[in-house]
Amino acid sequence: MAMEHLRWRPTVNERDFIERALQSDLRVDGRHSFDFRKLKVTFGREDGSSEVQLGETHVMGYVTAQLVQPYRDRPNEGTLAIFTEFSPMADPAFEPGRPGESAIELGRVIDRGLRESRAVDMESLCVVAGKHVWSVRVDLHILDNGGNLIDAANIAALAALSTFRRPECTVGGDDGQQVTVHDPEVRDPLPLTIHHMPIAVTFAYFGEGNIVVLDPTYKEEAVMGGRMTVTVNSNGDVCAIQKAGGEGVMSSVIMQCLRIASVKAADITSKIKKAVDSYTTEKALKKVKRLPTSVPQKINVTDVIMEDKGDGELEKQTVQMPSDVQQISKGDEDHQSIKRNSPLTGDRIAKHKQTSTFIGGTSNWDPYCKGVSLSSLRLSDLPDPPTIVKMSSQEDAQPMTESSNAEVNTSSAVAAGESDESQEVGSPKSLKDAIKPKHKRKKKKSDKS
Amino acid sequence: MESRKPAPSPLVDNYVVPGDVVLDLSEMNNQTIKLGAGLRQECDTIQATSAGKLRLLKPNKYWIENSQKRYIPSVEDTVLGIVVDTKPDNFLVDIKGPNLAFLPVLAFEGGTRRNIPKFEIGTLIYARVVKANSIMNPELSCMDASGKAAEFGQLKDGYMFDTSTGMSRMLLSSPTCPVLEALGKKLSFEIAVGLNGRVWVNAPAASTVILVSNAIMRSESLSGIKQRAMVENLLERLS
Repeated sequence: MAMEHLRWRPTVNERDFIERALQSDLRVDGRHSFDFRKLKVTFGREDGSSEVQLGETHVMGYVTAQLVQPYRDRPNEGTLAIFTEFSPMADPAFEPGRPGESAIELGRVIDRGLRESRAVDMESLCVVAGKHVWSVRVDLHILDNGGNLIDAANIAALAALSTFRRPECTVGGDDGQQVTVHDPEVRDPLPLTIHHMPIAVTFAYFGEGNIVVLDPTYKEEAVMGGRMTVTVNSNGDVCAIQKAGGEGVMSSVIMQCLRIASVKAADITSKIKKAVDSYTTEKALKKVKRLPTSVPQKINVTDVIMEDKGDGELEKQTVQMPSDVQQISKGDEDHQSIKRNSPLTGDRIAKHKQTSTFIGGTSNWDPYCKGVSLSSLRLSDLPDPPTIVKMSSQEDAQPMTESSNAEVNTSSAVAAGESDESQEVGSPKSLKDAIKPKHKRKKKKSDKS
Repeated sequence: MESRKPAPSPLVDNYVVPGDVVLDLSEMNNQTIKLGAGLRQECDTIQATSAGKLRLLKPNKYWIENSQKRYIPSVEDTVLGIVVDTKPDNFLVDIKGPNLAFLPVLAFEGGTRRNIPKFEIGTLIYARVVKANSIMNPELSCMDASGKAAEFGQLKDGYMFDTSTGMSRMLLSSPTCPVLEALGKKLSFEIAVGLNGRVWVNAPAASTVILVSNAIMRSESLSGIKQRAMVENLLERLS
């Protein structure tokens, strides 16, 4: 009896009313037959996490990746796997522990739409053929069940995949088999290659398949006679269709549904892309104004090396920036320890570290240091430079962002002969940064006059 | 015996959280106070056990009012229940509480063994809570205290939707809440509100039912003026 109590069943009144209203082309939440509910896509603090709200339905997506050995039959392709989590908090009908029928169906439909349509480029996830490939895992957590979980979860998966960044890795070593995974602080992580966005669009059928409704709510789902999920992309390519039992539907109705779905898919694709774009822009802007506290902790993080060959190797990975040092450490491994101990190299390393971990005031800053830190180079390939330039036009409006904008300006103005200032582009903020823009503005004014 | 009025708690009409001391009994001499939901006696003090607004009905009734999706049954509440199962002696009714409620098959006006009503599973019933305690299932009745049907019983047709307990209390408050007043001026419809956060609406036209139910669902977090504006907006769209 306890189980019976958990499962939500509509009352006779609701069932009758929903059907009666649909006969006269009305839906209980006031929507038209082919309207989606309000879609809201938000992103978490970390890359590759998304939260999608489709009306009352709430789904969270989270993408992670790890290096694994590839499958035998596809030695140069990465893998993509979808995992679903139906929490009993979302709906009392979901049992904790084993996945229910709907959980398996949802995972399968999304998996089919994403993987079998080759939406995510798998070959670019290969690091060493047959040895190391990236295995991408998409976790979909259902937080609230308001109906039409498949569409919401599919959007969550796409949004999470489009913001996901995997750490960059390089192949090196004597045998060319050694994989180095770079820390995100050292090298910018890379996005996945997504060829197209397969959007799942679910239709519910009522009254012997004569009444079709898009994006059913949980009440409509309890009453409907059948359901069909169509996965299409904005080009109108059909990636997957799922029609699990229920009422039979005429082929003409299915063709009509496909046409509607491709229109809706284009609409949703643009919504996802808009949300992703604003997220990446925001992220890029955040990166420019780096917080001083976060740098000293993270700078000590060394890259992860797949085949750890000892201390000398580690040193090689941490110190890559000044070209001469890199050359030295790239030399024979046997001489590593000696070279490391030599005062000159040690000094260089120390100096370099000083510049990159710089947090203090003016006294520490060496304007004549020629070592250009990687982080400053990185600034030049920010995903969205035009926006940053736009921001800098409203320089006076926001005193907080002012200094960072000034820094960006200098990086683009290296040609203007301000090479000394480009030194500390991307280095953490300090008091000196607060003063500098003023000085710069004065300079500008004097230039004008 | 004391004619002096009891001093009301200083927290009346303020928000309290569990653990707040609402009243100190040692300062009161020989007065009777009645406690409602969310309050309990701890030695010489009355403490809150749930978060919400402390209410006082003069002279001596105290309770805490809050809004939640789950309903805690209390005697004399009118609720909307869904028949989940039928047993020889009782209907098992879901009233959104921690336990299913019992509705004795004889608890209808003029109910005898001969004329037991037939309710299929999923029937919506408007009933009154007659027994509610923490250890037994609550008991419902489809009669008022004098044994009359008094509108209780099965609700036919119409549409039922869930809101919070606070919302349904707002709908039942007097003077009539702005949403219902604004809707009632233009439309004619039937409504039944259960204190357990269920609302049933019926009207001849399905569009009216949909409009009324959506207006009510959207009005929970709106002020009176905004509620009126929202209803007018909706009515304009309909016409």
